[in-house]
Amino acid sequence: MANILLNVLIAFLVGSILFGLQRKIMARIQMRPGPPIIQHLLHTLKFFIKESSFPKTAAMPFYIAITAMLCVIWVAAVIVGPVTGGSLLLIFAIYALHKIVEHNAGSSSGSPYGKLSCVRAVFSAAAEVPLFAVLIIIYLKSGTMVISNIISYQTIHGPLLYSIPLAAAMFFVLILSKAPYSPFAITKGKDIVSGYETEHFGLLRGYLMISESIAWYMLLWVFLTVFVGGLSPLWYLAGMIVLTTITAFINATTPILNPNHSIMMQVSFAVIGIVGSIVLLLYI
Amino acid sequence: MDITILGQQLLGYIPLGDIVLYMAPLNLFMFVSALVFTTLIAISRTETQVEAEFGTLKDRGVKVDIKEFKIRRFLAIVCGLATAGAMITGDLFDFTLFVCLIGIVNIGIVSAVKQIDVLNAAFQYGLVAMIATLPLFGGAALILASTGTISLLEIANIPTTAMMAFGSILLLLGVAGETGVAPFYATKAEMFRTPGSPFLLIIHLSSLLVIVRLIEILLIINKPF
Repeated sequence: MANILLNVLIAFLVGSILFGLQRKIMARIQMRPGPPIIQHLLHTLKFFIKESSFPKTAAMPFYIAITAMLCVIWVAAVIVGPVTGGSLLLIFAIYALHKIVEHNAGSSSGSPYGKLSCVRAVFSAAAEVPLFAVLIIIYLKSGTMVISNIISYQTIHGPLLYSIPLAAAMFFVLILSKAPYSPFAITKGKDIVSGYETEHFGLLRGYLMISESIAWYMLLWVFLTVFVGGLSPLWYLAGMIVLTTITAFINATTPILNPNHSIMMQVSFAVIGIVGSIVLLLYI
Repeated sequence: MDITILGQQLLGYIPLGDIVLYMAPLNLFMFVSALVFTTLIAISRTETQVEAEFGTLKDRGVKVDIKEFKIRRFLAIVCGLATAGAMITGDLFDFTLFVCLIGIVNIGIVSAVKQIDVLNAAFQYGLVAMIATLPLFGGAALILASTGTISLLEIANIPTTAMMAFGSILLLLGVAGETGVAPFYATKAEMFRTPGSPFLLIIHLSSLLVIVRLIEILLIINKPF
């Protein structure tokens, strides 16, 4: 139990600080001073002491429960990943649930902005879920779905990053799509205010922000674990900082794409990545 | 229990004659998730969707009326239970039956709405789902014919043959059509424009969870090692 609490706490704190770092780097690239690195963490904590209000149009109690569910599923991901080194397929299932919750957090409020975000989330699921199918390629290469066994495989055969680079690239595109201000962040585009988060205030917004931080940490953790191998905590931190810095550079220099273009681009990455990886698996 | 499925230790199985329900951590997680969401849907009311009016600066609220609410809630609960069933069944034919039921109730959830665009989308989805029934059951039948069993626990120990791989492809096509995942997503997104967030959740939930389960099943049937 203590191990779970510690890992969840680390995931939340590191995820929040990395989001702050990302905003700082983006601001410096755009010649702005930018907010302090701990801004995202402060924001999250702030929402827990703000008054919570609920739209009278919301679908109760669904609207409240769905935000708590988002938190629960990412805590479950921490248990499956860093705590127990469980099944990648289970993390895949958790990501699928995340997409569902993301889409319904938007539509349950009755807000038109949330609704548009919901429709975009459905569209983006068509592109993001195939990207997550990269886990199947990892299975085909390593012969296991269990994270601890994948780490052992890489200890013997070297990092999977070298043997299935296209799969790693696909997973990186998935990570990029979950970064704030990314070219693929259509569910939270500024044209729809804050997307599915628009009508969530106080405690509920706090839950959403905690989930986002843990989700960011987990996606980076999965990337580093399944493509580089088991690392020491310091190397994990260094890897996460490098990945966050790369996404910050991309986000700072590219606009948010139009939803159709975003989906087509992600689908193209998925097709090239899946077909290319299968060819690599067959012939190399 | 020393049975492992894709590296997951089986937590238990319930042999109901030919029908075998089994639970590994993945199946249990998805089964519980489906039941939790179904309970949530059963006790929730629907949102009032706020839409802008053309020609004025006013907004209008679009509500789900009580008759429509009752039938959609009933179908959503059936869909949730079918999804939960599809998560723990260890029987390939039961899985296809659950998927088929999910397709039928998904069409029902949306076709109870009185909006022309949404009904059109439901009609398109219905056509795809009906066509997909053939590869769905055909794939399962081919796997039965080539292995002599529909129990996934048994199939896990049978070496993969070309016919099993072909049956798997048909199964994949069938599930993709029934659940309306990519490339059939476009009509589904149209269906999501209607109010009734809890009911729309179950449409999305069922399709994504079934796809994850299908991946597990396909990896059980097609053993690359």
